[in-house]
Amino acid sequence: MENILPEPLTKELGDRLRGVVGDSWVIVDADRLLAYESDGLTAYRRTPRAVVLPRTTDEVSRVLSILSQEGVPVVPRGAGTGLSGGALADGDAVVVGTARMTDMLALDPANRLARVQPGMINVDLTKAAEPFGLYYAPDPSSQSACTLGGNIAENSGGPHCLKYGVTSRYVTGLTVVTYDGKIVEMGGFGRESGGYDLLGVFVGSEGCFGIATEIEVRLLPKPEGVRTLLAIFDRLGDAGSAVTEIMAEGLLPAALEIIDGPTIRAVEASVFAAGFPTDAEAALVVEFDGIEAGLEADVERAVARCREAGAREVRTADSEEERLALWQGRKKAFGAMGQIASDLLVQDATVPRSQLTDVLERISEIGVRHDLTIANVFHAGDGNLHPNLLFDRSDPEEVARVERASTEIMAVCVEAGGTITGEHGVGLDKRRYMSLVHGPDELDAMRRIKAVFDPLGRMNPGKVLPDAPDSAGAAT
Amino acid sequence: MKPQHDTALAAALWAQEDKLKPCVHCGFCLPACPTYTRLGDENDSPRGRLYLMGAVVEGRLSPDSDAFQTHIDRCLGCRACEPVCPSGVEYGVLLEAARESIFRARKTPAMVGMLLAVFSSRRWTSWSMRLARVVRGLGMAGRAARLMPANRFFHPIRFGLAMLDASRERQFPVASPSGFAAPDGSADGSAGDGSSEAGLPDAGSSDDPSSDGAARWREGSRGRVAILRGCVQAGLFARVNDATERVLRANGYEVVEVSGQGCCGALHTHAGDAAEARELARANVQILGSAQVDFIAVNAAGCGAALKEYGHLLEADEEYKQTAADLAASTRDISELLTGDTLQAGDSLRVGAPLPARVTYDAACHLCHAQGLREEPRVLLEAIPELVVLPLQDEEECCGGAGIYGVTHAELGGQIGADKVSAVLATGAEIVATGNPGCMMQIGAGLLLEGSDVIACHPVELLDESYRRAGFYDGP
Ligand SMILES: Cc1cc2nc3c(=O)[nH]c(=O)nc-3n(C[C@H](O)[C@H](O)[C@H](O)COP(=O)(O)OP(=O)(O)OC[C@H]3O[C@@H](n4cnc5c(N)ncnc54)[C@H](O)[C@@H]3O)c2cc1C
Ligand code: SF4
Ligand code: SF4
Repeated sequence: MENILPEPLTKELGDRLRGVVGDSWVIVDADRLLAYESDGLTAYRRTPRAVVLPRTTDEVSRVLSILSQEGVPVVPRGAGTGLSGGALADGDAVVVGTARMTDMLALDPANRLARVQPGMINVDLTKAAEPFGLYYAPDPSSQSACTLGGNIAENSGGPHCLKYGVTSRYVTGLTVVTYDGKIVEMGGFGRESGGYDLLGVFVGSEGCFGIATEIEVRLLPKPEGVRTLLAIFDRLGDAGSAVTEIMAEGLLPAALEIIDGPTIRAVEASVFAAGFPTDAEAALVVEFDGIEAGLEADVERAVARCREAGAREVRTADSEEERLALWQGRKKAFGAMGQIASDLLVQDATVPRSQLTDVLERISEIGVRHDLTIANVFHAGDGNLHPNLLFDRSDPEEVARVERASTEIMAVCVEAGGTITGEHGVGLDKRRYMSLVHGPDELDAMRRIKAVFDPLGRMNPGKVLPDAPDSAGAAT
Repeated sequence: MKPQHDTALAAALWAQEDKLKPCVHCGFCLPACPTYTRLGDENDSPRGRLYLMGAVVEGRLSPDSDAFQTHIDRCLGCRACEPVCPSGVEYGVLLEAARESIFRARKTPAMVGMLLAVFSSRRWTSWSMRLARVVRGLGMAGRAARLMPANRFFHPIRFGLAMLDASRERQFPVASPSGFAAPDGSADGSAGDGSSEAGLPDAGSSDDPSSDGAARWREGSRGRVAILRGCVQAGLFARVNDATERVLRANGYEVVEVSGQGCCGALHTHAGDAAEARELARANVQILGSAQVDFIAVNAAGCGAALKEYGHLLEADEEYKQTAADLAASTRDISELLTGDTLQAGDSLRVGAPLPARVTYDAACHLCHAQGLREEPRVLLEAIPELVVLPLQDEEECCGGAGIYGVTHAELGGQIGADKVSAVLATGAEIVATGNPGCMMQIGAGLLLEGSDVIACHPVELLDESYRRAGFYDGP
């Protein structure tokens, strides 16, 4: 886990890169590389060898040609909001960032499609589509900051993906630059071709197959009506049961999110306070959307299930402002925790919904045993848990306890029939857990797929896949 | 981990170490930052700058380093990053500490040093303002600026002259109120003799429909106010101070003159000269604090924000801290004072005569981000009958004024300013109103160099004009 200090680029290589992207967009000064040491997961620090910020597909291609000629590994980076260390580069690798690639390339309301550069912020796409009554459905809680390129790489989800599905369902075309600088087109309007579904393979590849430089996505018409309700519980487990009951009832809410007591208190202390009662142990946000007719009936049934599960209070958001405030509170919850702890380790495991209550109890028990505060905020409808372990990195003993608790939580989730990541990806952080959920043959198949795109293993090395049993360490 | 070197330099930042901790590196602040969205380098983002500050505190980076100085210098201090931060990171306070470290680490650039010295002395301020008025009075500044080549060498003089010219009093392009043609198609915008419009019918839209109306606004009935005269405001925008005074009296306030006021110290704080800023603050606390008024009214957002932070600035000063906090608590922006708690025109804000013109509102950073005043100036403008307030794209984005940023960072400041000017022009408004003299000059200069006739003014000037037309200022 040691941070390998970067070996500076040779002047000649730096000059060639500057020749492509311009002087200001090649960062080599060690002091200026510090800011690129971490992404949204600050438990890791890796200083890259350099950062290059191209503007166009062509520039990306030329940059990668140069770097691959020299055998320098490459790590793509979007906004650095990732929570698995995916955008971190060891000292021998160069980060290629998309921060300057933010253009809307084409907006086609008639066909409900948009083609964008990968550095565009998720919410900016929705803003651009809004005048046409359209929106981009996948809404990670980080949507105000994360890039579409990052979303593609992580196959990101969000609260509303319960009903609408995750990123992969919306990507219809990609332009990708591979490590050797080749520009590859996948899918795209009017190019629905036969053959293998390369798009499907690329989405979720965590920057290990190439850099997406143009992204075409499907937009949806805005739903006619929306109803949001908030149920307050005195026990976290009861909120979990309410979720199970609502789904068992055959209802399909657009979103089902749980925020636990410690998280409620952090949110209410922040600028995004949404009026959650601070003495509660869980708040469940349920949202229904679609055509107006029938919405009320769904809401009534959900309210009944919440009350049966023991909700002490159920209320509906009366105005759009109230609804947005609830969502702001939910979506900024992770950030708000910064007020109660200087460091966070967020887990991201998906368990079968029926196991939710049980798993939550066991996580809470792990927290007690290791004397750690664990704050839960999660996509309950998908069974996608986000336990946040709060700590202070300057206390090595506490860091060690966090490591242990984190591994135990992972084991509990896997044992309950779950996975090691719901949406944040494997990256650097969960690589060591891959063999908990995948057998050697599966891992081998993944390695071979990666080799098709990146035979030399220099695209985002050290991520996702554990080292092959026969390799001596460094290879991916 | 703490270094042996640089201890004295980093002291200001160390003192704020606890304020750095809440940053969880979530990246939510990146898209709000005008420098990051234009440059794409994370060192020019709020998160990146905080990371650099953290590295200084950890002893991994010297406050003397080029990286630290360049990227902290490049920050506009607009604080757009604060309201979007879920963790409540107090960026403004941290920035001041970072600037203090830099101030101690290096020789202040000559131009900045000279400017600070001028504003530290009342006599110097008064002389330089007098000189500026003479140059402005010659009426050549604007033309000279337009004739100068727009290159790097001439930029500071060219832009400086344009700013000076933009501070000139101009006539509002107000159409004649329904049915009454003004002789030259425009209204007489000058203060003083208002007799030409005094006879205009109030068209029933001005206030006092009921008999108790006039009594409600009787001077002195709502408390005693002292106006912070300011340096630039007093020197170049005396008309805004006069308008503020008239408007306050017309709204039932007694205005007392407090002589001997000095610079508020905002410029010094932002430049890192905390010691001098405290000196200036103490002088003001003494003078304004003993004025026995209910409120200090401020019409320059930057100065208002500085006064409101006097409590924090002098918190270590046993002798002054209480009076400083009291002064801060009684400070109000003019828009805040006039619109009161109700934010209702006609309730706490008196309604004047129609002013048929099209205006757009630019939210000065130090009003919306630093003081959280978003609705108040808008309520003030919307209270003016027949004044059409057109929405401004990205109204809360910095105009690039930021003190002398346009001069020290010609290229980036120019880019940010140009975007604001295009946004203003796109509205089709004839007037742009903004609550800070620096922004009036920055936007005004940009418009002037574009060859546009759009006028930059303070919202209170428009209210004043509306009152004048309503005859509120006519003798008893
Ligand atoms: C507060 C908070 C809440 C979050 N909530 C959610 C949530 O609800 N759902 C969710 O799914 N995630 C969530 N995340 C995680 C994160 O925001 C997503 O994974 C997001 O998609 C990452 O985008 P990014 O632009 O920040 O990518 P980065 O962090 O910069 O990179 C992430 C990965 O993508 C790769 N990559 C980036 N751009 C490209 C490209 N153009 N081509 C190829 N590879 C690329 C990188 O190499 C890296 O492996 C949250 C994060 C935070 C901090
Ligand atoms: S939004 Fe706040 S917590 Fe998040 S990175 Fe920015 S300053 Fe840090
Ligand atoms: S103050 Fe403004 S320029 Fe500075 S980091 Fe914050 S948003 Fe960016």
